[in-house]
Order: sequence, then structure tokens, then C-alpha cells
Amino acid sequence: MWPIYILNGLYFAALIFLISLGLNIILGVMGILNLAHGSLYAIGAFMSAWMIVALGKGAPMFLIYPSLLSGVVLAAFFGLFMEYFLIRPMYKRALEYQLLITFGALLLLEDVIKMIWGGEAYYASRPFDVLGKIHILGNPYPAYFLLVMIMALIAGLLIWIFMYKTRIGVMLRAISLDREMATALGLNIHKMGTFAFVLGSALAGLAGALVVPTTPALLGFGMEPLILAFIVVVIGGLGSLKGALAGSLIVGQTRSIGIVLFPEIELALLFLIAAVILVAKPEGLFGR
Amino acid sequence: MAKKKIGRREFIKSAGTVGLGLGAAGLLGSSVKVRKATAAQTRSNPKTPIKLAAISFLTGAAASPFGIPGNNTYKMLADVINREGGILGRKIDLLSYDEAGGVDAQVKLCRKLVLDEKVDVILGYISSADCKAVLPLSDELGGLIMAYDCGTHVLMEGDKSPYKVPKYTLGFRTKAHLGIDNIGLAFMVKKYLPDIKTIAGINPDYAWGRDSWLIFETAMKKLMPHVKVVGTWWPPLFTTDFTAHISALMGAKPDIVHSALWGGDSVTFTKQAMGMGFFEKSKMAFSRGEPYPQEVGKDYPEEQLICCAGTHYFLYPPHDKWPLNKWFVEAYHKRYGKYPTYPCYHAYQAMYTYKHAVERAAALVGGWPTIEEIAEAAVGLSIQTPSGHLMIREDHNGIEDVLLGFSKKVPEFPFPILDPRRLEVFPAHMVNAPVGVRTVDWIQGWKV
Repeated sequence: MWPIYILNGLYFAALIFLISLGLNIILGVMGILNLAHGSLYAIGAFMSAWMIVALGKGAPMFLIYPSLLSGVVLAAFFGLFMEYFLIRPMYKRALEYQLLITFGALLLLEDVIKMIWGGEAYYASRPFDVLGKIHILGNPYPAYFLLVMIMALIAGLLIWIFMYKTRIGVMLRAISLDREMATALGLNIHKMGTFAFVLGSALAGLAGALVVPTTPALLGFGMEPLILAFIVVVIGGLGSLKGALAGSLIVGQTRSIGIVLFPEIELALLFLIAAVILVAKPEGLFGR
Repeated sequence: MAKKKIGRREFIKSAGTVGLGLGAAGLLGSSVKVRKATAAQTRSNPKTPIKLAAISFLTGAAASPFGIPGNNTYKMLADVINREGGILGRKIDLLSYDEAGGVDAQVKLCRKLVLDEKVDVILGYISSADCKAVLPLSDELGGLIMAYDCGTHVLMEGDKSPYKVPKYTLGFRTKAHLGIDNIGLAFMVKKYLPDIKTIAGINPDYAWGRDSWLIFETAMKKLMPHVKVVGTWWPPLFTTDFTAHISALMGAKPDIVHSALWGGDSVTFTKQAMGMGFFEKSKMAFSRGEPYPQEVGKDYPEEQLICCAGTHYFLYPPHDKWPLNKWFVEAYHKRYGKYPTYPCYHAYQAMYTYKHAVERAAALVGGWPTIEEIAEAAVGLSIQTPSGHLMIREDHNGIEDVLLGFSKKVPEFPFPILDPRRLEVFPAHMVNAPVGVRTVDWIQGWKV
């Protein structure tokens, strides 16, 4: 069963990677710790689930998978909205204001989700069911989990190419490294900030959209991924893409193997690791 | 002459003393009859609506498979009772509230309902955590609370056996507690799966899950001492991702897995386990599994051991033998398009325990009873329910038989039902500890 445990860890890492990548981009470029990031994940999940349920049981597959992207689009849109109306006025203020504002946004978005989609759970398992199981060394394993890992890998690669090989990506990295110098060089901080926020929100939405065929979309289920994303940022380092990858792998495998070997302390184990890193290397494994 | 005077004075004095004494005894003693006589003369018979607060999960994971069916049943039964004239001529004004928000929110809500809104009764609570926090408020605030679904056995038990009953004067649980589910499961495993060697458990990490496993493990150790526990897992309540737990369970290779997962957790767990191939190698023993074949649908796996939290099942008692179940199932299905599940039956029990207790108390006092009188009248109440009979004992717990079976696909229904050839009912005295005896102590005292 050990290959399965490792694969579970990778599946979990894939989801957390997408969420924490988004969080890190926003944090790195704008210096904003977005507490409402989990709510954007939830919006992505609800929108995708609703779309799949609305298309109905008989809808063809070429409609079902792309409909997951509706979650990405809506999360990006909410991100844009949030950045323009809530974050932008707070740029020059102290960190506490930003935390308060994003926390307020978290509470607000929970109620917005309840208003739009109601209080019940949304199950949308067709994309998961149709792919069925494959056998790995004699053990059954859902093919959908492999799809999620592949999607996360592709997203990670695209972001890496974007950040390191395109002009806009270089500008974003410049802003995150030295904001003042970037401004002095004439970069449009506000436009870049908005772009980064929307990109980060879209990644959270993508994670939500990918998770919804396996787990129901529920009120409040963005909290746990948010906390785990913070742990990844602590372990991997603020604003670092490599850190997001390393942190996600550590968190994912710890969760999967921790549940096998130490079921009583599954959650505590993660916090323990985060605490050790905070003490030994406070800036994180790849932090600056 | 002097003697005569003294005699008369003495007589009057003693007569006066006796008279005063009788009068004092009449006033001070438990002069229920006297109180009743005066009460009957001054007892009011109000016609204002009864404010009945019903509290269930209306949002979140537990809503769709659980809280909403419970609340729907309260709505349906309030309409039925009102159509028949209400309770002693008073219509029910049903106020539905959401149990979501955690223990603190529920304590606040309970205070508001009892102290501000002055509701006549609260029929509520699914979560054992909420019950444990709220039921002490019944006596503290002077409100009648009937817990309709929570299951932890420690709610009404004391610290050691024998313990004093009742724990709360105004707090009731109108159903049997988790003892019947988990003892029943152990009996079923012993009867139908005598060759198993290993068991495991996956239960939600709070009172309900911990207590369910405790009773099941205690009973199994007594009945099948050679069976080994190969692992226990404790996902938090309302977990949405059980994939790691499912893989760990598959790796531990138990012959059967005990679970008190309920509501959305049970549905999510089953769906994820189905997708991961869990049921190819293992089977589950669900202590509260009855609603979920209908929730999951036609793909729900066969041969899973399922307990009905009492004898609550839409096909039991059979409709030809027990017309009340036939009526209940047909009325609920007509109104809501689904078959009723055990939260629905529990809601019936709470509603009708209240109704019958009020009517019984009113007959004794000759008018609308106080909540203390209703509470007194509820003890010893035995009522017919769609599932058979419910008795409310002096420890304020309900006492019920328990029904268990194995899931089986049949052409007549779009989801698996309990295999009629292997339906078992264990009578109440086999699965409920006697009054004042802790369930764990009772099991450990069995001779097998």
C-alpha cells in the first residue's frame, strides 16, 4: 500500500500547491496576506459543482470537464472585485488594516456563497466517476487523482514559464524583490498588483474546481485549505514558488503518511513541523 | 365547676391546635390534591398558539441527509396536529432554527429561546456536542428541552454506577442512546460474521464518535475476545476529504470497519471509498447507516452492516402489520419525494412525546399544565410510533428495540434496502442498560 500512500500525498500536495502558489504570488508581489484566499477556493468549488449539476446527468463529457473552468473564471472575477474595492485603498496602510480587511472579506464571502448557492452540500462526482480506477501494483487507485496531479503540474510549469520567461513575469518578480526600485524604474505597480491578485485568485479557484468531483462543496470548507496554505508558506518561505512546491510536498506527504502511522495526531503533526521550521529557519526553506 | 371550665378551654385549645396543625399540614404538605382542587378552579385553558422551537442542521454537511429531513418532519407533523385541532385546542406555531454554528452559538440560541422568546418547548439537537452543552440549561433556565437525535450515552449517565436519576428535571431525550446501535452491531457481527479476526474503526473525533467506538469495542471484547483491533482513525467532524483515511484503512486490512460517521460525512466517506476500491476488500459496520443507501443511490455497495438507530426504517415494521408506519412513510414520501429516514422517525418521537405528555398532564391537572407537570407526566409514557413503541424511562431517556441488516440491491427500489432475510431486531432489554447503571459497567458485567 505504500505506493498508494505516496500517491495520496502527491494528490493532496497538488491541491495545496495550487492554493499556496496563488497565496504566494499575491504575498510576493503585493505584500498582502489574503485571509479570504480560502473563500476564493470555495467559490471555485461551488461554481464548478453547480455547473456540473446544472448540466445534468446526461451531459456529454466534452462539456463536463471544461465546465470545471467556470470555477476558475468566477474566482478570478471575485479576486478582481476584491482587489479594486477592498485591497487598493489599503495599500499604504499598516499590515493590521490589510489583515482586518481580508478577514472581513472572508466573512462577507461566506455569506455571499450562502446567498447564491444556499446552505446545502453540492456533490458533483461525474468527472471522478467516469474515469474509474486503475491498478497500481495490485492496488486500485482512482484515475481522477492522477488527472489532478497532472493539472497541478501543468499549472505549476506554466506559472514558472510565465514568471521566468515572460516580460510581465519578470516585472512581477522585480516588484516582489524590491518594490521601491521597481516603482523608480517606471513599473505600474497598481496594474501589476491587480494582475497578481487575479492570477492568485484564479489558482485558488482552480484548486476548488479540481477538488469538487471528489469532495462536496460545503459552507466553510475553505478554512482548512487556508490554514494548510499558511503552513506551506511558513515551511516553504514567503513569496517563493520553489518554497510553495517544497512546502506542499512536505504537507501532503506528512498528512498522508501521518494518518497511516500516527492517526491520533494527524493535524498536530503538521503544526509540529511548521513550528520546527519556524524555530530552525524562520524565513522558511526557500524564503528570503 | 372549675373542671368543666378547664375542660372546655382545654377542648377548644386542643381543637384549635389540631385545627391549626391540620391546616398547616394541608398547606405545607405535598397537598397535590389540594393544589389540584384549587388549580382546577383557577387553571387556565389558553387558546394562543404553542411556541415550539425545532432545532436541526439546516445548512452544512449535515443538512441534506439529516437536519432537513428532521425539520421537514416537524413541519409535516405540526400541520397534521393543527389540522386535527392542535394540542388541547392550541395550534402549534413551529419555529425552525439552524443548529449550525457550533456549541457556543447553540447555547446562546437556547438562552434566547427560553428567556426572551419564552418558547413552550425546544425539540432539538442532532449533535452530541450541542446536547451536552444545552441540556444542563433546561434546569438552569427553567425551559423544557427534548433532545430528539443526539446519541452520546454519557448525556444522562452519572460518573459511576449506580447513579441518581434523572440527571435533569426538565431535560429529556426522546430516543434510545448510542448503546443500542453499537451493542446491536456487536451482536450482529457475532451472529453473522463469527469467523472475523480483525476490526478497525473510523469515527468522528468528538463525543459521539469516541463514545460509539467505546461501546462497540467494549461489547466486542466481551462477545468476541479473540478479535483484534488493527487501527482506529479519528477524522474531525465535517471532514470533506477521507482519501488518506480510506487508504490507511485498506492498508490495515481489517475484516470489518466500525463507523459512527453520519450525515454528509457518511455520504462523502462512502462515495470516496467507492471510488478508491475500498469495498472490493473490506466492509463497513455503520452504527447509523440507515439513511445513506437512499442518499448515495443505486451504487451503494451491498453487504454493508447497517443499524437503524432504533427500529426506524421505511419498510419496518411491515406496512400490513403496522398501519402507522404505512401512513408515515406514504405521507412523508408524498410531501417530500423521499422515504423517511431515522431523523424523521426521531422527530415524530419528540413531537408526540411532547403532545402525549401535555395531554396526560392536562388530564391530571384539569387545564394547561406547567412545564414541570409536563415533565412529570412524560416519565413512564409509552406511545405508539411509526417504528413500534417508545417508552420514556425515569432517567428521561427513551428506550427502544434496535433493527439491523445488510444492504442488498433489489429491483423494486432505486437504492439498496436491508436484506429482508437477514433483518434482526434485538429487544430493548438486550441493548439498553438498566436504569442507573452505566452502559460500560453493564456490558462488562455480562456473562458470556
